[in-house]
Formats: sequence, C-alpha cells, structure tokens
Amino acid sequence: MTALRSTPFDRRQLLKAAALTPFAGLALSGCGAKPAESAAANKTVTVTSYGGSYNDQLTQTILDPFSKQSGIQTTLLANTSLAALKAQVQSGDVQWDLVEITAPEYEVAVAEGLLEKFDYDIISDKGLPGYAKAEYGIKYLSFLFVMAWDQKVIPDAQAPKDWAQFFDQGKYSTKRSVYNQLSDSSVLEAALLADGVPFDKIYPLDVDRALRVLGQHPGKDRLLYHAANQEPIQQLTSGEVSLSTSFNNRINAARNDGAKLNFSAENAVLAGDYFVVPKGAKNKEAAFKLMNFMSNDAEAGAAFDKVTNLTLANIPALSKLPKDIADTLPTSPLLADKILVRDDKWWSQNLKKTEQQFKLWQAS
Amino acid sequence: MSNATLAGSRPRGRDSPPSVETTSRRRRSSWWLLLAPILAFDVVLFLTPLGKLVGASFADSAYQRVLEDPLVMRALLNTLTISLASTVVTVVLGYIIAMVLWRAGNVARVILFAVVLLPFWTGILVKNFAWAVLLQDNGLVNAFLQGIGLTDAPIPLLHNRFAVIVGMVHCLLPYAVFPIFSSLTSIDDRLGLAARSLGAREGSVFRRITLPLSVPGISAAGLLVFIISTGFFITPVVMGGPGDMMIANQIDYYARQLTDFSGAAALAVILTVMVSILVAVYQRVLKAGGQHEDN
Repeated sequence: MTALRSTPFDRRQLLKAAALTPFAGLALSGCGAKPAESAAANKTVTVTSYGGSYNDQLTQTILDPFSKQSGIQTTLLANTSLAALKAQVQSGDVQWDLVEITAPEYEVAVAEGLLEKFDYDIISDKGLPGYAKAEYGIKYLSFLFVMAWDQKVIPDAQAPKDWAQFFDQGKYSTKRSVYNQLSDSSVLEAALLADGVPFDKIYPLDVDRALRVLGQHPGKDRLLYHAANQEPIQQLTSGEVSLSTSFNNRINAARNDGAKLNFSAENAVLAGDYFVVPKGAKNKEAAFKLMNFMSNDAEAGAAFDKVTNLTLANIPALSKLPKDIADTLPTSPLLADKILVRDDKWWSQNLKKTEQQFKLWQAS
Repeated sequence: MSNATLAGSRPRGRDSPPSVETTSRRRRSSWWLLLAPILAFDVVLFLTPLGKLVGASFADSAYQRVLEDPLVMRALLNTLTISLASTVVTVVLGYIIAMVLWRAGNVARVILFAVVLLPFWTGILVKNFAWAVLLQDNGLVNAFLQGIGLTDAPIPLLHNRFAVIVGMVHCLLPYAVFPIFSSLTSIDDRLGLAARSLGAREGSVFRRITLPLSVPGISAAGLLVFIISTGFFITPVVMGGPGDMMIANQIDYYARQLTDFSGAAALAVILTVMVSILVAVYQRVLKAGGQHEDN
C-alpha cells in the first residue's frame, strides 16, 4: 500500500522540484517569468499501442533511438482504445500523449472533436507518403490482414490459396478463429472475396451477403472469435484451431520466436493505423517531435520495417531496405494486384451499424 | 450537534462522574457519529459516482436507444437464465458440500475447508483460463473421454453456455457453502436424535428436520449467489460463445466499442434496478416463508 502510494507522490514532488528549478534560476537572473510547466512538460511522452510483440518492436526500433537522440523519455502502454481516449478527453484528465487507433476510429475521433491538430511545423512532411498525412493524425502504419495456419497440421503445400479455400468446410475440418472487432478486422471482406466478389466490387460492403456466406462456410459453429491481436498466435500454437486470421507482423514475430506458423500475403487486406494526439495532451510537442522522428529518420524507419515487416510512413526508410525485405512489405508494388485495400471512408461511416449487425448475427 | 453535551460534560472532570441521565442522552444523540466515517466513504466513493452514472444515463435518450437494441434484450434474457441456472447448480452443490463438511470429522473438515477456500482465493481469470484449457477440443477432458472410448470426436465443451455455467459455479461455490454450513451447524443435534429414537429413517430426518431448518441458509446463499451472478463479466468472455453475452459484456460493448457512454450508463442503471426489484421480491417471499415456518 505504502509502496503504491509513494510512487505518484514522489513523482509529483519531483515534478514540483523540476518546475521550481527554472524559477529559482529566473529569480536569480532577474528575467521575466516563463510558464514553469513547459520546462517540466514535454520531457516525456506517453505512447499507447496494441501490446504484445508489436510493442517490443516499437520500443526497440523507434522509441529507444528517439529517446537517445532527443533526451525525451518515452513510456509505451498497451491498452489503447478509442473509448479510453474519449473518457480521458471528456473528463479533462488526459494521460496519453500519442495514441494508436484504427483508421475508422480515427474518423470517428475527428468527428467527435477528440483530437489535437497535428503541427506540421514541428513534423516535417518530407518523409511522409501522400496517403499518410492527415489533419489530426498520421496514418503511420500499414499492415496486412492475412490468413494464417498451423504448419504442424496444414503443411504449406496444402495451405489455403484464397479465402474460399480458407472457409471451405470440406477442405479443412478445423475451426477458424477470426478477429471479432470490425474496426480492425476484415473478416466480412474476406467472406465476400470467398464468395467470388472481385476486389473492386467489395465496397460498399454487402454485409448481409457476407454474413450469409460465413453462415454457410464454414458455418457459425466452426467460427471461433478472438478479441486481442496476440490471441490467435496462442490459439494456433496450442492446437485449438489450425486456421486463423491475423496480421502479417504478428505471424512473422511468432515465426521468429520459433512457432510453426505461416501466412499468405495474397488475398490479404491492406489496412492502417493512425497515431493521434488526444485533445489536451500534456506533452503534445514531444509527441509531435516523436512523429517527426518516426516519419523522417531513415535508420529507425528501416529498422522498424525490417523487424515488423510492416510499412512505416517514412519514405527515406524504404531506400535503406534490402530488396527481399522491401518486396514483402504490405505496400510493395509486387503485392498491389493481389491484395484488397480497405476502404476507411466506408468503414468510418458504417462501423457502428455494421458492428451491431455482426454482433446480433453472432448471438442469434 | 453534540457540541453542547460534550462541552457540558467536560468541566465535570474525572472524579465527578456524569449523571446517568446525561450519559444516556449523550449516547442517544451521538451514536450515529460512529457511522460518519462509513457514510463519508459511501458518499464519496459510492453515492457520488452512482449519482453521476444515473445523471449520465438520461443523456441523448439513452434508455430508448438501449431498450430498442435487440442485443440488449438478448443480454438481459441471457443474464437472467444463466444466473438462475448457475444459482440452482451452485446451491445444490453447495448444500452437498456443506452437509459433508457438517458431518465430517475434524481433520477431514479442515482439509475440505481448504479445498473450498483455495479456489475462493484464486483469481477468477486464472480459474477461467484453467477451465478453458481443460475443456477445449484437445483439452484434458476431451482427451480422457476419447481415451476411454466414450466418444470418437471431441465434444464441444468450451465456448458455450455449459462452459459459462461451469466457470461461474466454480467461482460461486464458496458463497453458497458458508451460509448453508452456518445454518446447518445451528441446528440442534438433539432434534435428529429425538426423531431417530422415535423410529424416523435418515431420509425422513433430512426431509422433515434438516432441510426445513436450513432454509434460511439456502435462501441467503441463493440470493447472494444470484446477485453476484448477474454481474459476471470475464467468464462469458473466456468460456462462452457469442450467444452467451451477459449484461456486463453488453455494458462493456457500449462503453468500449460503441463509445456510447450514456448507453452504457443506462444499461448499468437497468441492471441495478432489475436486481434491486428481484431482491425486494425475494425478501418478501422469504419473509412469508419464515412466518409460515413460525406457525
């Protein structure tokens, strides 16, 4: 109890001391008063993301090099959510400075006025691809929603080539685990692709048809749901399922840890996440400095791309990558014809309605 | 307030004790001061947030929105049926365990208590994941059933209502065992002796003496377990399927996924009111039963 209590108290004291120090200096030199807060603030930045292997990679490739270069300390949390962001902004007690949310969530947050405008005087947009730069955030990350399998049960030669095979009950009798949260999951797109809808006809999404397809193949009782990104890795490695949807970086990370899993980038769905700054964030300048580093530092960006197999919105990094890595990134031109690009606009307008419909379908 | 009495009593000092009249008046007027800390605690930590919650629930016609949502109706129904089923199973199992505890020797009783208490002290998440591992398709239970040749293919034991009830009962058992056990131990042993000496069989002793006299314990256990059941959140997530969503999950869904805080508040109020009504009805029925017992 005392240990728990003492931490914030000590920190507060420390902050107070840190805030008073410049005052002492100012009083001695007789200068005018400058807001004491800004000296203490913006020496740290609290980043919130999705956790698991991804958070480790982010720390290693981006946050640590940034701290070393700028002297700004970073804290990385794993419990990101739009709801928590909204609660913080509405209560006026904003704890987070830089928050990862999905593209549809970004649109919702903008519409509800929860975000700070990005300061492109601090963030140089030289390294930013056109699609990434937005008024209230940067679509800093592109990833692939993929089909993954357990190689112990399904050897690569027998692996599904497309979503139709992935869902085909006759071909694989195993259960399929699919991602539950539609803000991030392209399972409805996958169902339509399985039903033979071509890439350019997927949007606007025919939700009824997608659900009908899922109900037939593989059937409701063959579907298992996961709600966290690291969960399918556990389900696949424990043998609970041998087919699952996941994201390319998660499967790569698991493979690097020795898991016998594989995935196919063909037929994948390209989607992205935004970094945003909640309205009233205490260290927004530090957050923007971090965004500037992330978007323009070639070394850090290339390290990130290499380790995660994700595309960071950082053009200088791409030139630093060996060809075999560059070709496997979600934004590689080699994949362009084989993947579906998720329509963020459609999802931001239909997310809540579709989520309700999906939940109701699951429950009935 | 009581300042006057306190001030008045002070000059009397130690050697002249206050009159009986003053003491009793002082006692009467200031006894409630003992409640002040807990009252302050309640106001700050319970009533204020509850008031805010109720206030928030009236924004943007949240009740109408929530009650028109078919998922909410489903979750309410699920909550009632799952809670009822878990309560019945828990009380029956709890009764059996309490009977054994009651009749066991001292050593056996200590061991059995440990067996009941150990899961009580274990985190609910740990218990649920342990069950999930046991019940999954390639888990221990299915492997055993296939091993002894009872089934060929794994039986679906996880991600359904059965699994939810198993997980809930495991968490709830201690809450049922202790009230029932205490009502059993307060039964006068001589009643059973008398009945047996008059030729009653064990079954009839149980039916006509033990069971009726342990009704208060059963009711208390049932009520306690049911109220706790309605708030279950983790178990339906870990062990249930999408059709076993309970009201707490619906509240979470409104708050986290739909970011509809007033809707979530309305749901929380609905759950609170529902449980309060059930408790009131239950206590009335219980009272009636008690009076019948007295006659």
